[in-house]
Amino acid sequence: MNDHHSVSIVMIEDDEGHARLIEKNIRRAGILNDITHFTDGTTALDYLYNDKRGPALNGPALILLDLNLPDMSGTDILAKIKRDDSPLKRTPVVVLTTTDDKVEIQRCYDLGCNVYITKPVNYESFAQAIRQLGLFLSVIQVPDISDS
Amino acid sequence: MILGLTALLIAGAAAAWVTGRAAEHTHWVNHTYDVEIAIGRIQTLIEQKETSRRGYILTGIGTYLDTERATAARIDPAIEELEKLTIDNPHQGARIGELRRRLDEIGVQQDKTIALVQQGKNAEAVTSFTTETYVRRMRDVRALLDAMVADESRLLEGRDDAQRQTTNTFYLILAVAGVLIVLVAGVSTATILRYTRDLGSARDRLQLLNTDLEGAVAERTADLTRANEEIQRFAYIVSHDLRSPLVNVMGFTAELEAATTTLRDFIDGAEKRAPGIITDEARIAAREDLPEAIGFIRTSTQKMDRLINAILRLSREGRRVLTPEPLSIADIAGNVRGSLIHLADEREAEIVIETPLPTLVSDRVAIEQVLSNLVENAIKYLSPDRPGRIVIRGRSERDRRTIEVADNGRGIAEADHARIFDLFRRSGAQDQPGEGIGLAHVRALVYRLGGTIDVTSTLGVGTIFTVSLPAQLIDTGALS
Repeated sequence: MNDHHSVSIVMIEDDEGHARLIEKNIRRAGILNDITHFTDGTTALDYLYNDKRGPALNGPALILLDLNLPDMSGTDILAKIKRDDSPLKRTPVVVLTTTDDKVEIQRCYDLGCNVYITKPVNYESFAQAIRQLGLFLSVIQVPDISDS
Repeated sequence: MILGLTALLIAGAAAAWVTGRAAEHTHWVNHTYDVEIAIGRIQTLIEQKETSRRGYILTGIGTYLDTERATAARIDPAIEELEKLTIDNPHQGARIGELRRRLDEIGVQQDKTIALVQQGKNAEAVTSFTTETYVRRMRDVRALLDAMVADESRLLEGRDDAQRQTTNTFYLILAVAGVLIVLVAGVSTATILRYTRDLGSARDRLQLLNTDLEGAVAERTADLTRANEEIQRFAYIVSHDLRSPLVNVMGFTAELEAATTTLRDFIDGAEKRAPGIITDEARIAAREDLPEAIGFIRTSTQKMDRLINAILRLSREGRRVLTPEPLSIADIAGNVRGSLIHLADEREAEIVIETPLPTLVSDRVAIEQVLSNLVENAIKYLSPDRPGRIVIRGRSERDRRTIEVADNGRGIAEADHARIFDLFRRSGAQDQPGEGIGLAHVRALVYRLGGTIDVTSTLGVGTIFTVSLPAQLIDTGALS
């Protein structure tokens, strides 16, 4: 990513265990950016749009989004982020979820998701997938929010 | 109704009877008059004869005598006529006898006086006339005749009474019959009205039912679709939500394994450098207990993962859109045979397709899956005692198509015949890989195609799976 310290990673994932495993494997891939973790959609959205340190007010970010959240659907969050009048519409969103339903995948891409990854149940595959994601994250360009 | 008819019949019979009675009565009235007339004539003749005799006695003129003789000759026939008329009445018969006797007595007297006149003994004749008891006798005759008339009159009166009574009875019967008819007519009218009303309301209900039928069918279908959707959604959510914690279990198990490896390396290193600090417990924990526990967690979670995937697959299959197309079962059976021939060869079994096989309009993928699952099962559960032989055959029955997969394998115990179609249930020796999903999947597919599946099997002899499908799959659309 542009600069390891300027782009923060926002992880919206209701399962603490998953979050921990994802973070571990991203770190193993050599990604050292800040990771801010939220377990529900409401506080995550509040942070994204209103927090001083949040991406809308403070620099570029990359969002890791789980679709199964206790208070709202991940697709709602995705739709909100990618809406035309959203300041975060260019922020890359990686949907990282257990769902491998075709319709759901199509819908996420329709809504503007940048990458969709199904969490493999098998841990070796899981770890490998996250590590590859980490490697991927290390090379992609994230747009500046102020450019919008 | 029968009551009304009976009343009508009774009224008719009564009318006929009364008419008969009236005719009879008229006949009797006439008869009475005839009798009275006959009696009157006899009386007149008797009086006439007497008057002529008196004229002859007084005048001695021959004309009176002639009249007397002529009249006398007419009396007997008149009496005979009366006798004939009253032959049915013994009282009158007795009186006629009496009348004859009296008239004979009078006749003797009369003849005596007439004879005296004829002999020219007129004075003697007159004397005889004045002394004779003729007047008394004549009065008796008149009384007798009066009695006869009175008798007839009494009879007539009695007959009149009877006639009146008959008429009254007739009127009574008529009145009763009339009332009955009116009642029956009322009841009939009420019944007809009620029937008509019932018929009308039944027709209305039927009409309502008819118009509602389509709505009801649509409603039921919607209910069914909703229920099915709910089950699919439930299966999906459950399997999906079960997956999430499983990722953690498997993930941290892997982390644990990695940590165990580190630990074991450390213990190995420590054992070399400072064996004194390593206890037996620590060594066993790192080298045996931890790997063993992790191994069990791993196999269990892997199995759970397979089961959850099976449920997901079933749920996804249930939501797949069916596309009916004309299919030849022979072609599908050929494809299935082709894809499984290697497995069959490995197990030294043959797959026989008995032609002709029927055609039908249905979903190709679903039927392929059904057939291939059944054949694969047959190959998997062959009997080791004999070379396997799996037969695919079929037949048409009106608008149903039957496909059978028969084998000479190890068979299924009677008690398991229903169970084998349940998810995760298996039968017999568990010597083949599998999760108990195949037949559940097959049954779900067959049901979706509007068909049924049955099994007949004898343990140790073989198994026949019979799939019955509609010749034409009615496309109900996607259930998702």
